[in-house]
Amino acid sequence: MNIVAATAAWLTDPVQWSGPGAIPQRLVEHIGLSAISLLVAVAIALPAGLVIGHTRRGTAVAANLANIGRAIPTLAVIGIVLPLTAAIDPQLGFKVYPTLVAMVILAIPPILVNAEAGVVGVDRDLVESARAMGMREGQVLGSVEVPVALPAILAGLRSAATQIVATMTLGAIFGSGGLGRYLVEGIAQNDDGKIFGGVVLVASLALATEGVFAAIQRAATSPGLRRPKVIRRATVGVGT
Amino acid sequence: MRLSRTLALGASMLVLLSACSTGGGSKPTVKVGSVGFDEARVVAEIYAQALEANGYTVDRAGIGLGSRKVLLPALESGQIDLQPEYIGSGLASGYGGTSTSDPAANRTALQKVLDGKGGGITVLDYTPAVDTNALVVRKETADKYGLKTWGDLAAVQNDLKWGLATDCPTNPVCATALKDTYGISPTNVTLLDACSTPMADALKATTIDVAELCSTGPEIIVNGWVRLEDDKGTQPADNISPLVRNDLLAKVDKAAFSKILNDISAKIDTPTLAQLYYDVAVGKKDVKDVASAWLKANGFVK
Repeated sequence: MNIVAATAAWLTDPVQWSGPGAIPQRLVEHIGLSAISLLVAVAIALPAGLVIGHTRRGTAVAANLANIGRAIPTLAVIGIVLPLTAAIDPQLGFKVYPTLVAMVILAIPPILVNAEAGVVGVDRDLVESARAMGMREGQVLGSVEVPVALPAILAGLRSAATQIVATMTLGAIFGSGGLGRYLVEGIAQNDDGKIFGGVVLVASLALATEGVFAAIQRAATSPGLRRPKVIRRATVGVGT
Repeated sequence: MRLSRTLALGASMLVLLSACSTGGGSKPTVKVGSVGFDEARVVAEIYAQALEANGYTVDRAGIGLGSRKVLLPALESGQIDLQPEYIGSGLASGYGGTSTSDPAANRTALQKVLDGKGGGITVLDYTPAVDTNALVVRKETADKYGLKTWGDLAAVQNDLKWGLATDCPTNPVCATALKDTYGISPTNVTLLDACSTPMADALKATTIDVAELCSTGPEIIVNGWVRLEDDKGTQPADNISPLVRNDLLAKVDKAAFSKILNDISAKIDTPTLAQLYYDVAVGKKDVKDVASAWLKANGFVK
């Protein structure tokens, strides 16, 4: 109960809601860094995943690389990258870039693997019909394979985004901004309210991210691929 | 065949063990703990090996366990029995007491607090070695601004980028002391673990210009950095004492047990502590090897 009270007190203290280092600033930092990481990861992993899925070349290599990416501890990536980037830029190279690199490495595997698996999973008859209609390879990928594979591709983005938001907190150990500051400072300052307030904020943001991407995923899914709603409605109708 | 060999081995082990122990009777297992950084770990290991040499069994699971936030509750609840503590900081940041630059006063005050914790915890003798919070700058920064003392920093505080301990904002001997005694409350501050690799790396990479490090920190010597003098004596005397749970002391010959640890503490002066820290952090030697080499060199272990 003490922790709950301390957390509530911390979260409702007006001091936490304005000024430097307050929640709005940390939230913006956290979302901004997460968004940049996700965009860079998408720029790298999405084209690679689509091409590999379309050509079916290098699927084994991609799967292995993705697994290696998953196996590298994020904290280790930050530690390894830090001396390199800090030598280039003592400020951002120490406090921001290492975390960004680590987040990109974290986000690439789910995006890559989902894009590739999504495209590979597209019905072969569909692809062959598209070719038979005279579509070029780029058109086959862009007009047939990507729309059909979109739910899988977006599922990859969703899991990457959620992982980034939750893991970004590690950067605070190396002076990066974001909500992780509350966890790191709360532990050092022996302040339960700050620790668990930070935990609540990070967890809420991760859940919100998950929710937003789930909504995008639903909205972007071609009507032809959705589960037939009529049947579901009918089932509900029978129940009532 | 195998059974008889095992028995023989067991028997010889028993002989060895009984040869090691000085007194009779069974001695309890001592659970040793420490905070996470190299200096504390090597001191904990020295105490642990000295106890082993005197026939105690040691459980090392708590060595390097984590910050005070983790370690003090572990000691109070009996998950560990013994831990080396920096008495000044332990008093101030662990228990909210007021520590001074007088180690004897710090010990007395800490003992008073610990009498009522976890069924009683005893503060044994402290080391002559002092490891205190130090503000460190690169040589060129010191030359450029003519910095020798903390007082010199006040006038140029906002020309410099500061790296302070993560707990500094709420630590009375850090932010409060800087502000009230020196008039220092800089605007450009990065909070990092004090006495840690990121802090030293940040100073090296010029991410920060002033770093809060431990005075015994080997990176100060290695990089030729300048340690500024705390000219108004704000920092507590952080001599190291073993904290021992009273329920453990009740199970052992208290005088003999305390003597083992006190004799060792008496031998650890500041250069010794800095050297031990250096051997582990920079020399990359194993904590156990550094501890046993020091114990042998000082005649505590044959």
